[in-house]
Amino acid sequence: MTLAPARSPGTGQRPGTYAERPATRPRVGAYPWAMAAAITVAVSGAALSLNGVLRGWGWYWAALTTVLVVSFTLAALRSLRAQPLLVTAGGFLSLGMILTLTFFRGSSIAGVIPTPGTLGDLDRLIRRASETVLSETAPVAPNVGIVMVICAVLGLAVILVDALALPLGMPAATGVGLLALLVVPAMIKPQSVGFWGFSATVAGYLMILACSQWFAPDARLQTDSARTPGQTRRAVLTGSIALAATLVVPLAIPGFDQGTFPQGSRLNPWGASTGLNPMITLGNSLRTPDGSGRITYATNASTPLYLRSVTVDHFDGDSWGPDDRDSSRLPMAGRIEPGYTVLADEQLRLVTAIDAGSFNSPYLPAPYAPESVRGLNGRWTWDPATLTIKGSESTTSRRQEYLVTSSVPKLTASVLARSSAPVQGIPDDFTRIPGNVPDIVRTTAGTVAGSAGTPYQKALVIQKYLRSAEFTYSLQSPVQGGYDGNGLSVLADFLEQKSGYCIHYASAMAVMARLEGIPSRIAVGYAPGRLTGATVTVTGQGALPEYEVDARDAHAWPELYFQGLGWVPFEPTPSRGVVPDYAIESAAPAAPNALENNQDLVPDATPAPAPVPSATPLPAPGGGGSTETGVPLLPWLLGAGAIMGIVLLLAAPRLVRTGIRARRLRSQDRGAAVPLGWRELLDLGTDYGLPPGASETPRAYSARLRDALLGDPDGLDRDAHRAALSLTADYERHNYGRPPLPVPGTLAENGGAPSAKANESTVATRITAVELSLRANAPLLRRLQAAWIPPSITGRLGRLLAAPFAAAGKFAVRTAKAAAHSWPVASRPGARDGVQQ
Amino acid sequence: MESQRRTANDVSAANRALSGVTDPVPLNGHRPAAMDAASFHAASQRILTSVNTVIDGKSDAAKLALTVLLAQGHLLLEDVPGVGKTLLAKTLARTIDCSVNRIQFTPDLLPSDVTGVSVYNQSSRLFEFRPGAVFANIVIGDEINRASAKTQSALLECMEEHQVTVDGTSYRLDEPFMVVATQNPIEMEGTYPLPEAQRDRFMARISMGYPDMAAEIEMLETHQAASPLAKVSAVVTSADVAAMITTVQQVYVSQAVKEYTVSVGRATRESPLLRLGASPRSMLQLLRAAKASAALDGRDFVLPDDVVLVAEAVLAHRIILDRKAASTGETPHSVLMGILSRLPIAAEGAGVGRSGAGRSAAAPVTGLGRNH
Repeated sequence: MTLAPARSPGTGQRPGTYAERPATRPRVGAYPWAMAAAITVAVSGAALSLNGVLRGWGWYWAALTTVLVVSFTLAALRSLRAQPLLVTAGGFLSLGMILTLTFFRGSSIAGVIPTPGTLGDLDRLIRRASETVLSETAPVAPNVGIVMVICAVLGLAVILVDALALPLGMPAATGVGLLALLVVPAMIKPQSVGFWGFSATVAGYLMILACSQWFAPDARLQTDSARTPGQTRRAVLTGSIALAATLVVPLAIPGFDQGTFPQGSRLNPWGASTGLNPMITLGNSLRTPDGSGRITYATNASTPLYLRSVTVDHFDGDSWGPDDRDSSRLPMAGRIEPGYTVLADEQLRLVTAIDAGSFNSPYLPAPYAPESVRGLNGRWTWDPATLTIKGSESTTSRRQEYLVTSSVPKLTASVLARSSAPVQGIPDDFTRIPGNVPDIVRTTAGTVAGSAGTPYQKALVIQKYLRSAEFTYSLQSPVQGGYDGNGLSVLADFLEQKSGYCIHYASAMAVMARLEGIPSRIAVGYAPGRLTGATVTVTGQGALPEYEVDARDAHAWPELYFQGLGWVPFEPTPSRGVVPDYAIESAAPAAPNALENNQDLVPDATPAPAPVPSATPLPAPGGGGSTETGVPLLPWLLGAGAIMGIVLLLAAPRLVRTGIRARRLRSQDRGAAVPLGWRELLDLGTDYGLPPGASETPRAYSARLRDALLGDPDGLDRDAHRAALSLTADYERHNYGRPPLPVPGTLAENGGAPSAKANESTVATRITAVELSLRANAPLLRRLQAAWIPPSITGRLGRLLAAPFAAAGKFAVRTAKAAAHSWPVASRPGARDGVQQ
Repeated sequence: MESQRRTANDVSAANRALSGVTDPVPLNGHRPAAMDAASFHAASQRILTSVNTVIDGKSDAAKLALTVLLAQGHLLLEDVPGVGKTLLAKTLARTIDCSVNRIQFTPDLLPSDVTGVSVYNQSSRLFEFRPGAVFANIVIGDEINRASAKTQSALLECMEEHQVTVDGTSYRLDEPFMVVATQNPIEMEGTYPLPEAQRDRFMARISMGYPDMAAEIEMLETHQAASPLAKVSAVVTSADVAAMITTVQQVYVSQAVKEYTVSVGRATRESPLLRLGASPRSMLQLLRAAKASAALDGRDFVLPDDVVLVAEAVLAHRIILDRKAASTGETPHSVLMGILSRLPIAAEGAGVGRSGAGRSAAAPVTGLGRNH
């Protein structure tokens, strides 16, 4: 439907007014379809790279369906010549319908119409997704919540890209939408975006650019010289906005430059700080090539110490994380008493001075089992069950220097072997077996430890099994095998592949121990570090040797509970850490000399230089990025992408406005400079709250503008007044004057027509002068509005919004008139005829 | 669709009619050379200054009167007695060095008093023509509604055709020729108000209105002793005026302005408030007046503003209100203002709207261009 026939005869005689709409509207043809195909390729190509953020490929079909449905709905609407806003609205509608069909078929009408029940389901899925986002590490299991969110984001990306490419006419800027998608895998996956995802996205992007080049009406009517610099400038603008967003996002989201996420910390451009939320980021820390987060400590223990930061107690759910246990925490005051009884004959008392340095975590690294901690700043709490020390509120371990007194029972194989009493007084948290333990874990546990007698023997055989030659230590194979991270499903993969790093070994031993009836938990912290060669003088202890650990020493190990002895650490990870003496299965357990051997070390695991070779990262296959971009943190970057999108959307009016102005003022067309300058003046006036009336002559509008918005015509704003006057006069001459022929007007005010070049520059300077004055004379809110939500742009959107209603109204009027005409007698002689008779 | 096509044809027909305007009618077969911008401006300023010294606070009326003179139209001054109608007419006539006649219309005035009469000359034994009062460059017809319809008609024929026909012989009138008639809207008893058809011959009607306070005080001070008219002398010659008229005829009228003018006329015809809208002749005169207005403003092209400026003076006396509208207090003035305030101005066939800023100028498309 075009507007012209719908116009009432009263204005229909003046088709010049709005004639450009139907007249210059290009033939639609294949353009929308080609563009839809290009957008589909680009967005679904970008989605390819999300494999690895999500595990497997099962989710991809849902995503692809969404992208296809949305983009081709847009194309279909566009080929039906719907209003641009209607097209976008249709895109949203189709997105909603396909999401409903895919995810809420049960609770909706006919599969596509949402009901209140759908909202409940949606809420559930979103909560599920946010849980995933908050607690899991890539690659996450593609649960329905996260897949729905991904599908929705992809659908929105299609709409955004489409809106940028077509109605807003900024095809180059579509790259930002695609980039927002690619940022997620680029930051999360160790392999970065990946070859196929990157190539497909780039191919789609090029197709989008090519489509707009071939088909776009803008491109056809503009001169080449005017377009190319426009694209360059747009590209520069887009790039700088993306850059600005990456700088702004970390400021806006608290988790990005502080707290427990090393990935977030890496985004902090103003300084390094490291943290350790070990379950989430341990693999990442291990892969870090430079040892960030250096902690130094000095201890009087003759063995190198494991520094324990946090424990993982719950093995339920798709992925594990540390439990805050805030309800049972007690404020740090005086002694730390474990919540269980230790009946050991002999206690080893250790004093350790720790400097946490840049290690930034709410959990305090301390040797097990702490009895007292002195020298801390801030508010700290401890948990009787796990003996973890946690800062409350915003207190973190950063820059803390403190002295920990710890005590452990003197453990020997014989002591442990004797401890076969049934476990009592341990919270259920440490014994509960999760419901969804994979079969392979059960069978392995049964095979390995089923025949062992005492808990100690069970522990020993499990550890022996994991340290056997069947298993290899590798930081990379979980990534390549797609089971990087933690959780029971990861554990199953690990036991099949028999390759992984500490978190896998620790969790395998912990879970199998629970299956065998031994209370267990995973401790996360640091493996023993290296001697620095320096000494630290501690009061009452003299000079103690100093050790250092950093991110590469991040470690996880199982702790098993033995009645009467407390929690006993084991070391199932091959080639890492130090296997405690008691945990070495000797041919003759409880040999007499072993009793004195407690302090000795396993010969091949001396504390100084910790075995790290296998921990050095290998180049990730197929990845464009360096390997230090590590594994997890899906959520934050998903958020970053979304925020970039939002920032872009918020800035879109301003971008579009700036683009329009630049294009107008840059026009190379001889005759075009003056009317374009005039139109810019109109839009400027509109932006500052003075839209031109339809029946207003240029002169009248110019007078109104100067009167209302520009200041004193004789004072500071004289130049602006002059500029506005000359813009108006030039426009009037251009529009109503004699066509520019060699015949000079008899009444011409100024000589001939100035040259095009002069025209162009003067138009630009005049517009600048007017704008400066407008800005100087406008109140702050008006200025902000003009800069960020210019009414000349939003008004355009509003008109588009109103267009369907207006069209419907006109259609109704026409129908009524047609009906009246076809009515034979009553209405044929018009009212006027009656009067004249 | 049918109505659309008809609309387009009407528009193009009207355009053809209007294009005659830009091709000026020769004055008496010869055309004086056009005046250059500077001297045109100077001459018009001299006339206006001179008129304004006599009539205080009525510079708009004076300018409009000059506009009508330069547009080769006739002027109808309509207002209550004593506001300076005749004074304006006389002053304007005096400032120009040309022949001026004044006719005081009365019920017993005969057509021959206006046009002239053939008298039998005893000595030559021939009828010879004695020219009437209308044989002058500027004819002031005072209280034209007091004369009988027959006499009015005689004057009106002269106005339209610039010639007098007596006893089968036509006599051409001098150029420039302008009739300035005054009319008293009250005290209508025993008068013969001009019928609509004849009012249509006047290019513009001006209501003088009362002067404002300052102007009235000024008038009391300056006009006490002697008639200010005595001091007025001619500031331009009739040849100057002819040249100025030629200049006005050469003012350029763009397609957009023609369209706008036509759409103003069509809007008056379609307005439900009006029983009779503006005639095509009035469109012609509207555009001529607009051209003169543009020239007086120092431009060689017409703006829609010029059309708006003269629209009320040119159109208000030609349109007839619907009875219902009149009873609700509408006036021709208010109706015209309403129409002008609603009528969109053509934006040079340009693509406002959409996102394309640069495309329209490259390919300006107007509806009329397509229809031709």
